[in-house]
Amino acid sequence: MAHYAQSKVYESTNEGSKFSLLGCEALKTAQMQQQSQQAPPPHSTSTPPPAPPSSTGGSAAEAPPKQVALAMDKLGEAERIIADIRIGADRVLEALFVAASQPRHGTKPLQLFLKEDACMRRYLQDLRSLGKELEESGVLSESVRSRKDFWGLHMPLVCPDGAMVAYAWKRQLAGQAGASAVDRTRLALKAFTDQKRRFFPHLDYGLETNESASKKRCGSVESTVDPKEESSILKMLPDVLNYPSSNKLRLGSLGTVATEKVAVIEMLVPSTFRVVISLHPAGSTDPDAVAFFAPEESGSYVHARGFSVHHVFRHITDYAATALQYFLGNQVESSLYCLLHWICSYQTLFSRPCSKCSRLLAADKQSAFLLPPVLRPYWQFSLSKILSTISSKDHTSDITPAYHVGCFSEEL
Amino acid sequence: MTVKWILHWTPTPGSVVNSQILSEISQCVESFVNAVKDGRWKATLTFYRPNLRDQSIPSEFPRDFLGISLLEQPNKYYFIIRGNKIILEADSTILTIMEKLQSYKSKVALNFEGVQYKMGDFQMKVVKVVPNQGESLRGILIEIEYLPISSIEKAKPIMEEFLEVWREVMSKKSLPGHFTQTEPHFADYKLPDNYTSQHTAIQYAAALAQLIQSAQLRG
Repeated sequence: MAHYAQSKVYESTNEGSKFSLLGCEALKTAQMQQQSQQAPPPHSTSTPPPAPPSSTGGSAAEAPPKQVALAMDKLGEAERIIADIRIGADRVLEALFVAASQPRHGTKPLQLFLKEDACMRRYLQDLRSLGKELEESGVLSESVRSRKDFWGLHMPLVCPDGAMVAYAWKRQLAGQAGASAVDRTRLALKAFTDQKRRFFPHLDYGLETNESASKKRCGSVESTVDPKEESSILKMLPDVLNYPSSNKLRLGSLGTVATEKVAVIEMLVPSTFRVVISLHPAGSTDPDAVAFFAPEESGSYVHARGFSVHHVFRHITDYAATALQYFLGNQVESSLYCLLHWICSYQTLFSRPCSKCSRLLAADKQSAFLLPPVLRPYWQFSLSKILSTISSKDHTSDITPAYHVGCFSEEL
Repeated sequence: MTVKWILHWTPTPGSVVNSQILSEISQCVESFVNAVKDGRWKATLTFYRPNLRDQSIPSEFPRDFLGISLLEQPNKYYFIIRGNKIILEADSTILTIMEKLQSYKSKVALNFEGVQYKMGDFQMKVVKVVPNQGESLRGILIEIEYLPISSIEKAKPIMEEFLEVWREVMSKKSLPGHFTQTEPHFADYKLPDNYTSQHTAIQYAAALAQLIQSAQLRG
């Protein structure tokens, strides 16, 4: 049974995040293009715009919710036009290829190429005019942000790094504890991968998605780690921790946009458990809280301070709090690293029998419920010990003992 | 969906299945591991027979065509042909269609009536098998469920140990018979490792087949 560790970010249900980064970049390119050229007056767009004919003055006359809705519609249109452009580009290349490979077939390939060329020009023109409309309604620039009307609504905002939010204030909230775990996790993972890519390009251990990056930009980043690579990724962490020369790495202090810092880490061991760790302060490597859940559990209580409905995971969460305090106290520099390794030892939760009584299930003293061995000693996990285990190239054997709650206290 | 194991009661040769044994088993469960009664459960199983005008035609139709409905899936109906290892999950409106088509007739209908108990992360059901019309007890089943796991492979060690503990408790009562588990052969039905109601339907069909077989053996 291969064990895979997966860190997964949920696709936000926020409408705004369904737009691909690529699309937003193309939109900005269109905006820049129209600024650099003397743009001819826009042709009528191929799809009738939902806004009233006078796009400049008309938007101000509508109620803000309608403005927001219109803006969202236009962004949707923009996305469709961008998709058409991408397909059109393929077709143009195909036409060129046909023309080049069959020079004797007369003018037919040439006609094809001209047709595709005309289509592309039309799409780009549509996109330019749409971009102009959006810019006027304040979606692409931050100028409207400060203009808050009495509805408290803002126009949908395309942020400098390409992410899109339906309401600008949501970005602010997302950095704070009040935001939903979905938003925080999504932004956290995005910020982390962006900055990792920027500042540690040599550390590309295959944490990137398996498919081409352009396909998976819709706000959901998924990475699968196979067992051989898992140790190499965990090897990466000491590098991260020791960069540059100080022993503590603060991702936020590397001088980039400070609104996104890694705040939540979620790890899934398929069919076994899901663990949520929160970091505090955001951007540091100090774990703050940790909680275990069943893989299928979902709901607003699935966060680093929540409790699972299952007794086994409640016990582990309680115990993990103790382990966390130990790591924070004794392994100050590498507490997150040790914590993650200790959590990994729970992969065998439902298969490894207790090291004392050799059974898998034992009755809990208080509740009399049957539980698997939920305790795994944490004081054996120190940075030096973990590194020596990894370097000894023995990944398959996990020798961490496991105990039932009852068996353990007798052991002491 | 969480993994369930279904076992059927095999009485020792010479003894019968009656309501006294059922109540003994229920008592066992109730005193087991701090169990809490959690509600009632029901399922039905129907044997279908093709509706042929000319009964003398050798039947190329399946002999073991079953239909199962489960309480936890009120909008679904499951068809199983055990011989060919086929399971079909259909909408419950298929019954209306079958009635209109009149191509299959219901031969025998059985009810599974269960009482559910909750004990920590485990759940058990004590199920009695009764015919649709009538009250005579035809068989007893128990269902074991471990809530945190949805993968059949992963749940195996835990379920096996739970079964061991359960069998120890049962042996103290020295009842004439024991619980046996039918190997459900999910892979034959091309079902995945993630447990679903289709797995439940197959297990109940298999358990019933075993019950019928052992009843026939007893004469």
